[in-house]
Amino acid sequence: MKKLEAIIQPSRFESVKEALHEVGLEGMTVTEVRGHGRQKGHTEVYRGREYTVDLLPKIKIEIVLPDKLVTSVVEAILKAAKTGKIGDGKIFISNVEDAIRIRNEEHGEGAL
Amino acid sequence: MAAPLKSGLDSRIHSVEVMQSTPKSLSALSSHCEAERKQLRQQFEFGAGTRNTLRGLCRLADRTFQQLFDDVLRSYHSPPKRLCVLALGGYGRRLLFPYSDLDILFLFASKKAEYEFLPLVAEISRSLWDVGFRVSSACRSIEECEAIEEDNAEFHLALLDRRLLAGDVKLYEQFDARVLPASERQMHPFLLAQLQSLTKERLARCGNTIFHLEPNVKDAPGGLRDYQTTAWLRHIASKQNESAGAPSLEDQDAANSAEFMSSIRCFLHYSNGRNDNVLTYELQSEAAQQSLGIADGAQRSAADWMRLYYRHARTLNWRLLRSLEERTPAAQTLRERLVNTARPPKLQLVEERPFAVRHGMLEVLDHMALADRSEMMSLFAEVARTGVPLSRDAERMIVHILTHEELPAINIEVKWETLKEILAQDYPGVALRSMHRVGLLAEILPEFATIDSLVVRDFYHRYTVDEHSLRTIENLQELASPKDERAENFAGLWKSLERRELLVFALLLHDVGKGMPDPKHINGSLVALDLAARRLQLDTQERDEVRFLIEHHLDMSETFLRRDIFDPESVAAFSQTVSTVERLSSLCLLTYADFKAVNPEALTPWRQEMLWQLFAAASNHLNRSIDSDRLHAIREAKMLDDVVRQTPGATRVDIEFFLEGFPRRYLLTHSSAEIAAHFLHCKKLKAEPVQIELKPTGHAYSLTLLAQDRPALFAMISGVLAAWDMSIMKAGAFANTAGIVLDTFHFVDLHNTLELNPGEVTRFQQSLAGVVSGRQPLEPLLKGHTQPGHGRPPKIVVQTNLRFDDESSAHSTLLEILAQDRPGLLYEISSVLSGLGCNIEVALVDTEGQKAIDVFYLTKDGTKLTREFQDKVTAEFLNRI
Repeated sequence: MKKLEAIIQPSRFESVKEALHEVGLEGMTVTEVRGHGRQKGHTEVYRGREYTVDLLPKIKIEIVLPDKLVTSVVEAILKAAKTGKIGDGKIFISNVEDAIRIRNEEHGEGAL
Repeated sequence: MAAPLKSGLDSRIHSVEVMQSTPKSLSALSSHCEAERKQLRQQFEFGAGTRNTLRGLCRLADRTFQQLFDDVLRSYHSPPKRLCVLALGGYGRRLLFPYSDLDILFLFASKKAEYEFLPLVAEISRSLWDVGFRVSSACRSIEECEAIEEDNAEFHLALLDRRLLAGDVKLYEQFDARVLPASERQMHPFLLAQLQSLTKERLARCGNTIFHLEPNVKDAPGGLRDYQTTAWLRHIASKQNESAGAPSLEDQDAANSAEFMSSIRCFLHYSNGRNDNVLTYELQSEAAQQSLGIADGAQRSAADWMRLYYRHARTLNWRLLRSLEERTPAAQTLRERLVNTARPPKLQLVEERPFAVRHGMLEVLDHMALADRSEMMSLFAEVARTGVPLSRDAERMIVHILTHEELPAINIEVKWETLKEILAQDYPGVALRSMHRVGLLAEILPEFATIDSLVVRDFYHRYTVDEHSLRTIENLQELASPKDERAENFAGLWKSLERRELLVFALLLHDVGKGMPDPKHINGSLVALDLAARRLQLDTQERDEVRFLIEHHLDMSETFLRRDIFDPESVAAFSQTVSTVERLSSLCLLTYADFKAVNPEALTPWRQEMLWQLFAAASNHLNRSIDSDRLHAIREAKMLDDVVRQTPGATRVDIEFFLEGFPRRYLLTHSSAEIAAHFLHCKKLKAEPVQIELKPTGHAYSLTLLAQDRPALFAMISGVLAAWDMSIMKAGAFANTAGIVLDTFHFVDLHNTLELNPGEVTRFQQSLAGVVSGRQPLEPLLKGHTQPGHGRPPKIVVQTNLRFDDESSAHSTLLEILAQDRPGLLYEISSVLSGLGCNIEVALVDTEGQKAIDVFYLTKDGTKLTREFQDKVTAEFLNRI
């Protein structure tokens, strides 16, 4: 099993969600986050007051999935989240040792 | 000590005997109880009525208890003396739900008696459990009941619903008639305080709202606990005041609502097989299918059935909140009572109106006067102005007047001018909620009635649609004192918003389409707006502004959630839809209020920040692109037709010529009637080179001045206003291709000179015309009026800040100036600019509290300002201002 964390532009979230549904993935955890990589902050001056956004708003999607789905899910995210501009985000993939469904204590992929 | 021990030992021996002799009879009793419970359940499911079921369960419990009590007492060979048993709480009220506990008090004549009878008590409790009753029992001696148990207010409250179940009748009579009343004088203030505090805690735990998707029909706001708490509050208050009010129609309504809630609770107990009072999503559908609690038996959808639920919950919750609000007078001595009879509580009268403030609430002094709707509306305008709520009696009286069939109503047709007196105030939410509660809002705005208690079953909206709409308005109202830094941004917008009434009206109507058949609710809301606008007589411009806000009420949230708000193209596209900064401010506030009213977690800090970033970016975009977006009148066919219609004798070509080259903002911020008036002024310029239009607008004045362009024109007008001590709030300077300048100023007359001296209005206009046309010098007028020390000292200090921008406009350099606002400031700024030979192409002048925010589009000799020249302007400003 793998854990996939995707940091994407908020504006691409709906498209990514639809793309994930299309490849058969229903469950995900979504968080509103702030951060930046190479894309630096943004400054807006309104009525003489400077509003600097050092940490830009992003959406973080977390999914734990069977190994066999990783490629198709990553492709789906890339296709839906990519605009080609700086700030499109990143995908991180890591190994997961086990998953347990709390309700019935089922283990492994069956618990996903 | 020996006797009680012996007695206790004897009791235990008896207890063993009873235990040995009863299993068979207990088993028979248990079967009998089970059969009777089953029968009562069947009767309930066949519609026998909730009250019959609850009473039936209570009778069964009473009978069973009596039988067990007699049996156990007989086995003890003990007469029923020195011990009695009381039913408390719901059981005491003879309303026992299928899986509720039996609240029982074993009351003893003394501690000695308590010790003697303890084994008997244990035996009865065990037997009750064996025959299927859940028992919650307490034991007290009569002496113990006289003392206040400060950490157990619930026990004292349960005692309010006591009745004798079994045992020593004389002991009960002694307790009921002598012991309890004697301690009441001390007990009731304690109980009242405890009840209020426990209730407020309970309501707060449930978010102070009746609108839960899966409500607990017992404990949630609007549930049965609210009904009972109101009864307790009234009971205690009536004991303190030694008077009990007769039941009213409102009490009857509340009783009906309690009956409805009881039927749900009974249904939940049977459905869940336990004391579980949560009305889950699934059980809502089942209850709706069974038409539970509905007299007509007509089948409804789950959403419609929940609508009924919320209406009943609202009745119960409103009654409770009002009871909590009522101040119970403190205990008074006889002397105090006599004095106070002669001198009633102090009333604060409201300017010869038939209402007054007492104990922080508005009360109606002359009820019959409210039959005149204009008086009733002025009462609600007072609520909206001051935020002081109506007393319960006042609301009840208004309901009575509104529903009275024979009472002649006067001035029943409410128009926009009257309604906006409420919507434009600081506390429109307080007034509108009250108006909704009494039914007045639905009378004035029947469109709003379509969303009354309407449920949106989407697990996102927590509240019914009417509640959501009212909360949006309350969210704006709360911006008067923002709770955090993020809210302060929006608070600034709210405080400086000019036509609040239009935004509040848009919020009232933005979701009414959800109660209409069209699946796109915005379409329904727009239809409702058209009907309401026609009936209330909004003018075209007002209607169009409200229409824009309703039509686009989701645009801003969709943009910041689904578009890249840091992409200039996204910002430009959004700004194009909004078109003016005024509309942007209203739409931003609407989005803030709307999001926040969905549920308490919907407007996260993350989203608030995104909303504000989009607002700031769009506002800057609109302010910085004004002079690139010029009008080509020939492309504005509809507007041209409208203006031609309102200018007899003028041709389309004349109007086109007049409008050609004005910034588009001019078109967007003026109605066709205003443009027609400006055109007529323009035609008179040949005869009189300066045309002036002066209008009072609430607390301020609006000045429009047309003239052929000439150097320092803007500075001259600002100078005359400064010389007359007029404080400029907003200003705009526009010019068309033909070189006609149209400047608008909104100003406050600091010394009320024009209002107090009508003759001065003409002199003021003559002064303006004289200076602008060059017939009169400005300097003598200004003497002593423009020094920095002139006027009141500032409450906050604003640092002067200048910022040049060469990129936003293709033709001009933008200069944004922030400075401490003071009389004459705009004159000084504009005279510095004209003194340096700058041409003001467009000016946007605004104030925010004591901060002046001015944007000028400048050219020199027809081109942008060079860097060197910008430095020169900065140096001159630092020197002069």
